[in-house]
Amino acid sequence: MFMKRNRSMILAFVVPSTLLFLATFIYPIIRTIIMSFFSIQEITDSMGKWHFNGIKNYIDLLGNGLYRQSWVNLFKIFFIGGIITLGISLIMAVVLKSGIHGKGFFQAAIYLPNVISAVAMATMWIQYVFNSSYGLFTNLFRALHLDFLANIQWLDAGHKFWALLLSYCFGMIGHFMLIWVSGIERISPDYYEAASIDGASKVEQFLFITFPLLKGILRTNIIMWSISVSGFFIWSKLFSPISADTTTVVPMIYMYDKLFGAENVDKISRDAGSAAAIGVMLCLFIVIIFTLVNRCIKDDDLEF
Amino acid sequence: MEKVKTPKTISRYSMNQQLKLLPGYVLLVTWVGFTTVVLTWVIAASLSTTGAIFKGNVFAFAEGIHPENYTRAWVSSNVSVFFVNSLLYAVVSCVLLILICAPYSYALQRFHFPGGKLIKTLLAATTGVPVIMVIIPLYMIIARMGLLRYEMSNRIVLIVLFVATKIPYTTIFLMAYFENISRSYEEAAAIDGCHPIKAFWKIVFPMVEGGVVTVTIFNFINIWNEYFLSLLFVNSDSLRPVALGLFSMINGMQYSGDWSGLFASVIIVFLPTFILYVFLSKKIVGGLTGGVKG
Repeated sequence: MFMKRNRSMILAFVVPSTLLFLATFIYPIIRTIIMSFFSIQEITDSMGKWHFNGIKNYIDLLGNGLYRQSWVNLFKIFFIGGIITLGISLIMAVVLKSGIHGKGFFQAAIYLPNVISAVAMATMWIQYVFNSSYGLFTNLFRALHLDFLANIQWLDAGHKFWALLLSYCFGMIGHFMLIWVSGIERISPDYYEAASIDGASKVEQFLFITFPLLKGILRTNIIMWSISVSGFFIWSKLFSPISADTTTVVPMIYMYDKLFGAENVDKISRDAGSAAAIGVMLCLFIVIIFTLVNRCIKDDDLEF
Repeated sequence: MEKVKTPKTISRYSMNQQLKLLPGYVLLVTWVGFTTVVLTWVIAASLSTTGAIFKGNVFAFAEGIHPENYTRAWVSSNVSVFFVNSLLYAVVSCVLLILICAPYSYALQRFHFPGGKLIKTLLAATTGVPVIMVIIPLYMIIARMGLLRYEMSNRIVLIVLFVATKIPYTTIFLMAYFENISRSYEEAAAIDGCHPIKAFWKIVFPMVEGGVVTVTIFNFINIWNEYFLSLLFVNSDSLRPVALGLFSMINGMQYSGDWSGLFASVIIVFLPTFILYVFLSKKIVGGLTGGVKG
């Protein structure tokens, strides 16, 4: 009888949620993949109006200069931003675990940007930190008599990308720092004690104990970074609010313009099918990074 | 985990230790100091005037303090509307997410049944799928059904989307908590003749309270700050959540020129999650560092 009652509970708990999950995730994913092979002028067109296009959507996209530029920017964010974010967050995590006072406070303060609306965060950066007349950087560097730095127009075409990258990474560092901290916390203190007795310096301890034992976390972090970067949209939109421009365009921005049309960008013609193809390519990007990372960063037999 | 504490008597040793950590302190203090300067300036600017902001002396308050920037932002710039919208979306979605995901997660974690493993794998895989992979067909279907034409149905669409996109994450997050609960509680309840559904809500569910609170904080913050889905699916100004409302204000800045009002709006949008964070940062940080596997 228990079994029977359990069965009715499992049915009640699992079936409706699974149906919702299938309807909002699995079905749309399959449909997006199918759509990417069709030309669909209006997003609301019925299937009868779709035209089979083969892989032409993909070829056309790759032939478009602005779209290629959006990937160049994405890769720049992925590699340069990734090295900055994962590197600095690792340094911060090591510093936090080195026996510093007020660890909890620093940890919480550095994580703070992650709980705040990206729109509010970006507004603070754009309207204050990077502002050329009353901004923080301008005033700070002027006070330090570093005029060549003070005179940088952070939001002009030449610097906008770097301003965008800097402010984005600043917010993300706190998140990755916490993940590193959780990894370091799981390393047994015995290793460090033994190393200290053998006379290993802090740097040596980091290079030969901490870092090798954090391989698994490094893998997780690179994959998580690729997922966050693939969804890069709002920061780009805030740095170039009116129309996509070559310095800050990313695939999601291009996709949005493909979906709803943009009046002033170099003639992005509306097509939901090709927007779907962009989605598929972003998915492939994550899958490729995932595969590469799992292949390149092998788990040794190290267990801890 | 046991920690060996250094006895207090060797204070010179620990002084030296702390001195060695100086570069670390410099890094952390500079970092946090930067955040503090930016926040303080924005708060000062939100109480100052547009003229003072452009003159670069927001801290002088030469023309006095202007709390009315906030009332102006709240009332005439419609921040109150965005605020109430975000609050509504976040609260309703968070409640629905727990009502759907807690039993779902429990059943998936506890019982073996055909397809259970596949569902778990799919749930885990979709946490890495970019949201645009699901959004285009959903938009197509929802727009064709005419659901974006009326305020009420548009609101429901938004909430359903917020809930649906967070189901995989919430369900997987809660599984780790159900794992830690002994089966003996349910068995005892069953022997007493308690129906398993009732036993779940009365006995098991209260025991995962910690996980429910943590995941709800994450969901609340995410939905409060949500931008992309609302950008696509919100069809009228009166339905905008805070992120979208703030964005439209920024775009209108060149016409209104009300910079002190803009900074006041930034602070209003910033405050709810900030206050939540000040009180709950231990739970948030713990929730992030606890469940990650290397």
